[in-house]
Amino acid sequence: MSIVNDTAAWLTDPDHWSGPDGIPHRLVEHLAVSGAAVGIACLIALPIAFVLGHTGRGGGAAVNLSNASRAVPTFALLVLLAATPVGFGNRATVVALTVFAIPPLLTNAYIGVRDVDPEVREAARGMGMTGRQLMRRVELPLALPLVAAGIRTVAVQVVATATLAAYVGGGGLGRLIADGFGRADPAMTAAGGVLVALLALVVELTLAFVQRRVTPGPVRRRVRPLAPPESAVVPPAV
Amino acid sequence: MRSRDLLVLLALTGTLAACGGSSGGGSVSSGSSPAGSSAGNELVVLPDDLHLQTVDNVVPVINAKAASPKLEEALNKSIAGLTTDDLVGLNKQADVERKTPAAVAKGYFDAKNIGTGLPTGGSGKVVVGAANFSENQILANLFVLALDKAGFSASVKPVTNREVYEPALERGELGVVPEYVGTLTEFLNKKVNGPNATALASSDLQATVTALSGLADKKGLKVLTPAQAADQNAFAVTKNFATANHLTKLSDLKGYSGKLVLGGPPECPTRPFCQPGLEKTYGLKFSSFVSLDAGGPLTKTALKTGKVQLGLVFSSDSSLAQL
Repeated sequence: MSIVNDTAAWLTDPDHWSGPDGIPHRLVEHLAVSGAAVGIACLIALPIAFVLGHTGRGGGAAVNLSNASRAVPTFALLVLLAATPVGFGNRATVVALTVFAIPPLLTNAYIGVRDVDPEVREAARGMGMTGRQLMRRVELPLALPLVAAGIRTVAVQVVATATLAAYVGGGGLGRLIADGFGRADPAMTAAGGVLVALLALVVELTLAFVQRRVTPGPVRRRVRPLAPPESAVVPPAV
Repeated sequence: MRSRDLLVLLALTGTLAACGGSSGGGSVSSGSSPAGSSAGNELVVLPDDLHLQTVDNVVPVINAKAASPKLEEALNKSIAGLTTDDLVGLNKQADVERKTPAAVAKGYFDAKNIGTGLPTGGSGKVVVGAANFSENQILANLFVLALDKAGFSASVKPVTNREVYEPALERGELGVVPEYVGTLTEFLNKKVNGPNATALASSDLQATVTALSGLADKKGLKVLTPAQAADQNAFAVTKNFATANHLTKLSDLKGYSGKLVLGGPPECPTRPFCQPGLEKTYGLKFSSFVSLDAGGPLTKTALKTGKVQLGLVFSSDSSLAQL
């Protein structure tokens, strides 16, 4: 029980809430690294997935390739990056986490677009929509729930994994864990763990809310929710 | 309904883009160094002119319950002839020539014929702890070779640092660790006499060892015979930084008014011969501390790329030039 008390004491100590080593600063660093990684991954993965999903070509190969890249251990990638001009620290962590985040985003977005009912597509074509209009007005809105699900999953995973930055000279909440271990201060380590878990939870709940808002009404109100294909990465139903 | 969905989508994209943009702020290092910054090629050690560091001779420390005459004799003889120059040479083999600590230890063991003259007839298992820097791992492997020759069944157990392995040594999970007289004295001093205890370590080896033995006794540890070889904390900057700011010794840094970032292992901000010592004895003010490794490649790269201006290294590091 004493580790629980010690951790609570560490978290409520006002000294730990100020300065460059304080919780707010570490939190901001952590969110910055995570946000950058998810943001860049979205910018890379989503356009590719949308185009592939819309044209229906090459998607299978892209999904397989991105899934295979999930086997790359993020920490090993960080160590390898240290030998390149990318170096180490927060910047290298953003790069490694972006690589980590791309596969689920790509897969989900591609499947989201592919899965649009062919009859809806046909109807849209029949109405005279061009390819671009089809994509913008039909496919993207219908794919949005799955894309949002992908972003939500990835964001939580990235927030949890961004603790690695601390091991390569970076910042973030992982520093509480790593420095606590190096100084044999279990309360500090546990506090770091608790904060990361809480942050992941907050991110999950926030994005769950966003995902719910972004799901078109009729889709959301369906009595039996449409089961996504097995290969899609989806968190539990909202 | 359509416009609402689009608004939410825009908000989502905007938030993500903003997140991406905000990462360009101070916490993410740019890596490229502007002209006149501390990046440069060679690393130089700034001499410890105010004598912050104390005598840090290598000494085997054992759990008192594991003590036996043969164990102690084997350990003492293994480092009896070890000089600081030897240590620098051994570190060079590990860090520059990239030999494993076990291979380096074996090379030294064979070259100095340490096997002859060791006692025999020892028995039992001995676990030798090794901290996370190559020199300590070499020394631990050297102990293992000596103990094995004396009949024990010894093995190396890598542990991170003193904060982690010293309690393990007290509990008996480790039997032996290669230690450094001055630093261990102050570590135990703070543990036994409280965080504000007066310093017991000094530049007098004999006096420090006597103080250390007394402290070790209180913790169920036993200190053996120190070697001539010593390795203490040292602080390095790049050659360019030293020249640009006219630094010839560590106390010259007091006049430096630019951004001073310290790099070292995670325990540095709480260790008296590291950050607190620099702040107290030298009056230095650091804008921040970056957690790296103990005098290893991460620290050296951080110095060379300008991520930190002052980095912790070890005085027995072979690759450092002296000013």
